[in-house]
Amino acid sequence: MKNSVIGGAGGAARVEVALPHPGATQHRALTRFLENERLLATLLLAPTVALLGLFIAYPFVMGVWLSLSSTSVGNPGTFVGLQNFVRAWNDSIFRTAFWNTSVYTFWATIFKLTLGMWLALLLNRHFRGKRLVRASMLLPFIVPTVLSTFAWRWMFDPTFSVLNWTLYQTGIITTKLPFLSDGTWALSCAILINTWRGMPFFAITLLAGLQTINPDLHEAASLDGANGWKRFWHVTWPLLKPVTIVVVVFSVIQTFSDFQLIYVLTGGGPANSTHLLATYAYQIGVATGLLGEGAAISLFMLPVLFIVVWIQLRYLRRLEGA
Amino acid sequence: MQGHRMNRRYFLKVSGAAAAVAGTGLEGILATGRAPAWAQGTKLHIVRWVDFIKEADVELKRQAPEASKALGAEVVFEFINFNDLQPRITAAIQSGAGADIIMMLYNWPHLYASGVVDVSDIAEPIGKAQNGYYDVFQATARVGGKWLAVPHGVVGNAVAYRRSWHNEIGAKEFPKTWDEWREVGKKLKAKGKPVGQALGHSAGDPPTFSYPLLWSFGGAEVDKSGKKVVINSKETLESVKFMQAFWNDACDEGGAAWDDTNNNRAFHAGEISATLNGASIYIVAKRTKDKIKDERGEPMFQDIEHAALLPKGPAGQFALYVPFQHAIMKYSKNQKLAKDFLKWLHAKENYEKWFQVNEGYNVGPTKVWEEHAMWSKVDKPLQVFRQAVRQSRMLGYPGPASAKTTEAYTKYIIVDMYAKAVTGTKAEDAVQWADGELKKIYEKA
Amino acid sequence: MLIERRWKKWVYFYIPLTLFVIGTLFPFYWMAVTAFRPDHELYRSWRAVNNTPFWTLNPTLAHFQDLMAKTTFPRWLWNTFFIAVVSTAISLFCGLLAGYALARLRFPLAGMLGTSIFVTYLVPPTLLFIPLADIIRNFQLGNTPWALILTYPTFLIPFCTWLLMGYFKTIPRELEECARIDGATRFGAMVRIIFPIAVPGILSAGIFAFTLSWNEFIYALVFLFSPERKTVPVGVVSELIRGDIYFWGQLMAGALLGSVPVALVYSFFVEYYVTGLTGSVKG
Repeated sequence: MKNSVIGGAGGAARVEVALPHPGATQHRALTRFLENERLLATLLLAPTVALLGLFIAYPFVMGVWLSLSSTSVGNPGTFVGLQNFVRAWNDSIFRTAFWNTSVYTFWATIFKLTLGMWLALLLNRHFRGKRLVRASMLLPFIVPTVLSTFAWRWMFDPTFSVLNWTLYQTGIITTKLPFLSDGTWALSCAILINTWRGMPFFAITLLAGLQTINPDLHEAASLDGANGWKRFWHVTWPLLKPVTIVVVVFSVIQTFSDFQLIYVLTGGGPANSTHLLATYAYQIGVATGLLGEGAAISLFMLPVLFIVVWIQLRYLRRLEGA
Repeated sequence: MQGHRMNRRYFLKVSGAAAAVAGTGLEGILATGRAPAWAQGTKLHIVRWVDFIKEADVELKRQAPEASKALGAEVVFEFINFNDLQPRITAAIQSGAGADIIMMLYNWPHLYASGVVDVSDIAEPIGKAQNGYYDVFQATARVGGKWLAVPHGVVGNAVAYRRSWHNEIGAKEFPKTWDEWREVGKKLKAKGKPVGQALGHSAGDPPTFSYPLLWSFGGAEVDKSGKKVVINSKETLESVKFMQAFWNDACDEGGAAWDDTNNNRAFHAGEISATLNGASIYIVAKRTKDKIKDERGEPMFQDIEHAALLPKGPAGQFALYVPFQHAIMKYSKNQKLAKDFLKWLHAKENYEKWFQVNEGYNVGPTKVWEEHAMWSKVDKPLQVFRQAVRQSRMLGYPGPASAKTTEAYTKYIIVDMYAKAVTGTKAEDAVQWADGELKKIYEKA
Repeated sequence: MLIERRWKKWVYFYIPLTLFVIGTLFPFYWMAVTAFRPDHELYRSWRAVNNTPFWTLNPTLAHFQDLMAKTTFPRWLWNTFFIAVVSTAISLFCGLLAGYALARLRFPLAGMLGTSIFVTYLVPPTLLFIPLADIIRNFQLGNTPWALILTYPTFLIPFCTWLLMGYFKTIPRELEECARIDGATRFGAMVRIIFPIAVPGILSAGIFAFTLSWNEFIYALVFLFSPERKTVPVGVVSELIRGDIYFWGQLMAGALLGSVPVALVYSFFVEYYVTGLTGSVKG
């Protein structure tokens, strides 16, 4: 019985169907295999577990302890229970940061998904220069975020913005647009930059997914009279859902804990309107030296991410089970 | 024969050892005329900000080998962005490793008190020898009666403005009160030359404007005891309302996104008519006069004038300068060397060179530097910085400067109160917000 | 009929594609123009006459020269490259082994381990870096590339594992069975049969891991402080903004030099990348 999929894109976490082992003569061999499997598995997983254990699990536990203490820079703290969390929740800057992070993640993901999907569909066709275009589409993803964000910051500069200049010269505006000086504008610009940067990841991964779809299916559908949009919705999209969900999960995790972009673009301003949880945690923990409170703010991200991811993975499992 | 030789060798060995023992410390150096013997490869690592006057850093780098020779160990300067100083200090203290001496601004020694060394034995003598430190340092570098950092200098600020533009609209002198400045600014903004002020999340210009504005209207974060939050007052509300009006009438709205560099660039590009800044706008314009020209093609620095203080408000005229000091970190293995270095740095012949290169951007920490010959030689617009330090208050005024005031400053609460107000929040709400935030800081256990 | 189809092609294909290309690549064009623009043109007011923001008539290599000569930029390039390559190698190694184990072998705790590897991805770096600073100090790795080489795999391994796991699942079991019947051990079959087939997946994971390491900022910011140890992102941010001045020319030159070489290398691999992903998303 083959395990491969015909004509469709599957998901990552499928349950394996066991191959029936022929005969009882191999019972002894089977035992040996199983024994071997466990040993082998332990061996294979050892480096990963060691690295992740030492550099994530252990610091994570320490981080949790920090969040439950009143540690500040140079002063080992005492256990204070959930005080830091309560304080954070009552902190209006924290609530603003939480809201900003949610808005930022939500809109950026939607844009990245839509544009990424569209671009993937476009790149799926054959045309001259396909390779070059595909490679160049990856550029925003390859450039270190801080550097590309600087370029954008320069483009949005309150005094020297080229975008303002262009719009002014073409008569569309008469005064400078407050790209980074107005709260809502600034957050929108951040979403724009994040979309610009993340869309290639979506596009290329979705493209890979598209290429696993058997063209015969499209043929069949169009013979049945379905036009472009219908074909997409009824043929492509269902097959692409598993890949999409996985990509969205990774993207949401990255975007929700994003730090670099805001740190470089606005530092959280103006007036905290672009502060994200990660940048605020940094400001409190590292800049102000209130390590316990900073850790608590970071920890707030965890349950949210967990829930979002869990929902999506449940959906994915349901899809695959069906 | 052998005895003789051995005797001589023995004698040399002993005298050498004696010299080495006496040789540690500056006293030792002066006594033996020879550099002391630190362990081979000892490095003294000093972290400072990147100076806005780059020649000052050049001078420090130039002094490094001299200091190395004098102290017998390698002295290394590292310059980082001032906004990165605090994260760096936190990371260093937490990980127990890093630079030996780190520069601290404002009253940071209070915040990092448990991670730095008591340097009263260095700071006291310097202060005594140089006519005493400015009062502001008592607030910033002295914690619990002990000096936790050696005051190094003060970066003053003043309002840099374009003389010709102000003359054109009839303001022969810089406006004396806030309302006057608003009127002047209104006229200039109508001509496309607004006032520029930064209200973003940066450590320099935004706080040095916001705090004095608050104080000049009679507002304050806390009362004299430092325990009660009094920001929610009529006076604060007045200042916020004024700021909203001032912003609309006279300021470049982009300022809410400005950090410390934007106003310099905007001023040099001829975009704004006045801004609060250190002396760097003038000095840089002067030192690159072929690059920075005004609209008539003349070097711009000739048109730049300074008003010593921000305008007067109902409660008086105030300033917040940026004092800075050098702290020796507790984890450092070279504490004695660090102390010697600081002594060397403040020796008149060494400090004076750095002081002169600054031309008033950084002024000395003690009153003796007001009398220095340099002041008679610098350009007139820079003279305002000479004694201005005497007026500077510190964060948390009128309460004591403590770790809590530093926390409030790092969270940009006062700055954001104004930033919120000028970007659409109602004045009362902005003040309420600041009140809530400050209460959480000052009134927590 | 033909005209209508041609029109449709333009509207639905060429125009959107062109818009995407312009939108994606415009910032790079901008970076390039800024990097080649002489200083006196960079800081002119937006209302100045003769403002030509989109091109410059006096291109100069001064920024590139300054960048290479006056800062430790070449050193940063090397540091970042070294760290990225070694981290990627470690992550691929771990990811390969772990991915195979989770995809192919049955053992107790398989599901739980798989999930927990994935869950580590959720832990935000801003929580970890202070405790990590302690660990780094205890191992005395502060300010060395090893601090990063050992911490980067923490976010690279989960993704590599997932990618390779998916890829492995698409490889039919028969291949291994045949090999084992022929006398090979499980381990031997894994290394000699499966891994070579998975090369596109490995390349894919490698490219992705390399990009993420190249790009990482916060750990590099906290764990490295000597100028000559820094990586490109941290070095550019901390050394090219000196007090009052953003050296935009050099910043953009640095941005270009820090990305174009990597992009060139990628252009060779992008087809593999897509194929690799194809395999893994199929599984």
